[in-house]
Amino acid sequence: MNTFIASFWAESLKVRRSLITLATAGGFMLLPIVGGLFMIILKDPENAKNLGLISTKAQLVGGVADWPSHFGILKTGMAIAGFILFSIITSWVFGREFADHTVKELLALPTPRTVIVASKFVIIGLWVLLLSILIFAAGLIAGWLVDIPGWSSALLWSSFGSYMLIVGLTYMLMPVAALIASIGRGYLLPLGWTFLAMALAQILGVLGWGEWFPWTVPGLLSELTGPSVEALGIHSYMVVFLTFVVGLSATIIWWRSADQSR
Amino acid sequence: MFAGGGKTVFYPKKCPRVRPAPCEFPIIGVPTGEPLCTIPSGYRPNRKCTYMDYAIETNHLSKNYGQVCAVDSVDLHVQPGEIYGFLGLNGAGKTTTIRALLGMIRPSSGSVQVLGQPVGPNGRGPWRRIGHMVESPAAYPELTVLENLEIARRLQGVTDKNATLRVIEQLGIAAYRNRKAGTLSTGNFHRLGLARALLHQPELLILDEPASGLDPAGVVEIRELITRLAREQGLTVFMSSHILTEVDRIATRIGVIHKGRLIEELEADKLIEIRARRLEIKTRDLAAAQCVLSEAGYAVSANEDKLSTGDQRAIDAPEEVATLLVNAGTPPTRLAVEQENLEDYFLRLTGETI
Repeated sequence: MNTFIASFWAESLKVRRSLITLATAGGFMLLPIVGGLFMIILKDPENAKNLGLISTKAQLVGGVADWPSHFGILKTGMAIAGFILFSIITSWVFGREFADHTVKELLALPTPRTVIVASKFVIIGLWVLLLSILIFAAGLIAGWLVDIPGWSSALLWSSFGSYMLIVGLTYMLMPVAALIASIGRGYLLPLGWTFLAMALAQILGVLGWGEWFPWTVPGLLSELTGPSVEALGIHSYMVVFLTFVVGLSATIIWWRSADQSR
Repeated sequence: MFAGGGKTVFYPKKCPRVRPAPCEFPIIGVPTGEPLCTIPSGYRPNRKCTYMDYAIETNHLSKNYGQVCAVDSVDLHVQPGEIYGFLGLNGAGKTTTIRALLGMIRPSSGSVQVLGQPVGPNGRGPWRRIGHMVESPAAYPELTVLENLEIARRLQGVTDKNATLRVIEQLGIAAYRNRKAGTLSTGNFHRLGLARALLHQPELLILDEPASGLDPAGVVEIRELITRLAREQGLTVFMSSHILTEVDRIATRIGVIHKGRLIEELEADKLIEIRARRLEIKTRDLAAAQCVLSEAGYAVSANEDKLSTGDQRAIDAPEEVATLLVNAGTPPTRLAVEQENLEDYFLRLTGETI
């Protein structure tokens, strides 16, 4: 039996049986719901003024109720909520083995540790890909229900392309969270890192260094952080890719070599 | 198992079960001497086939955590078919040694060979032939017993789909097969851990405190199961415990680790012989009796309501002591040669006091 298929099957079973699958799907669903709510508010400004703070925030983010704004909210939401939820998923996939003490059952096996780590990253990738597509589809339905103007196929595909690029870039930041979950042997440390990385991303984005900081790049791409998406160059994508490679390698090395003394 | 030339050797299951020439006519069998198979006629020795003397062999195994030496130059030699009891107080270094045997930690120095293969922290090792349970058993609580074992089956590379059901039956947890592991009782959770360890029919079973947390019935059940597996399947068992009486009942050989060092290694049946014996005497007048015996040259100590002596002459001929006391007018009301209990022996060996 192929060891990767066996390990992937094991990981997928854990994900399928876990409540966290539903919890993350529920968390992600807030994104299209909030996007749709913003569109409702923006579509009827008179009514929006009666809503106070929410309508003020909506005005700040979008300004007009149309498909470009709606897609913009989805992309921005993915850059923020996506990073948090992807990190929660990664922390769970790696950290739960330590929290439940099941890691010791994964070490002295004919299935190599590298294969186990690889299958974990693949399941995380498929999980976040599925959720991201689901969220985009739900966003389309929300926009269609609110009946906002400005639709075009070209807009759909370009928005979907940049949305998926944000998803891909955010996923590439996950090996660092996996490494921290492994070293920290649980969930808390990677979740702490997630919020620290978000804060640093905001600060460095505002200071103009965001293009060089991997955790700022998805935000810049969604035009959330910093002055403009134009700041991004090939170097920004390379920095993210490098972070992915280093994080992945370090996680594999750690699983292969570190003492599992607890 | 091969009995030839006065040396016991062990062949891996997947190798032809004969020693490369030259050798005497080999018979492979369990320690009872029962032959399992003999050399096939016309067999030509396979040069690639290696044989091993020990199921577990460590040479000067040491592990330091900073300034703390958890395991200090331990030389373990566990023979195939043995049930090796690895005894030690809490924190003596049992679990660290077991983790090193399973490649979970990198030794600071020394080497580890299990079933003839070197073990390393990067995943090297003959894992397909080893079952293990380190400290308390672990399982995914949201998965059923069957699902937990199915994961283990696939990760162990066992192609026989009936292996899961077979081990469930063997461990007596068939009734709980569809129960989530998180809802099992401690005893059944232990059985699940053992089922995982036995699923792939290993040659070597490494267990760390297998009876820990179990009720008395569970302890007996686990003990009988291990004994049966060792007897029927020729399984080698290496099990750690801090309960001497538990190990004494099951092990064929015992190693005692204390403060990281292997301080004693002996056959289990020798345990009775080496435990100190004392003659205990009860009489109505302890002071007078002690005086009489001291005058006769016996080293006697008074202890609450009795006298006690480790003098070999008294132990070998208690009737002489009795005669002496009767003649002195302080006849014994009780006279018995008592053997040091296991706990006292263990504490004496380790130099610990209660």
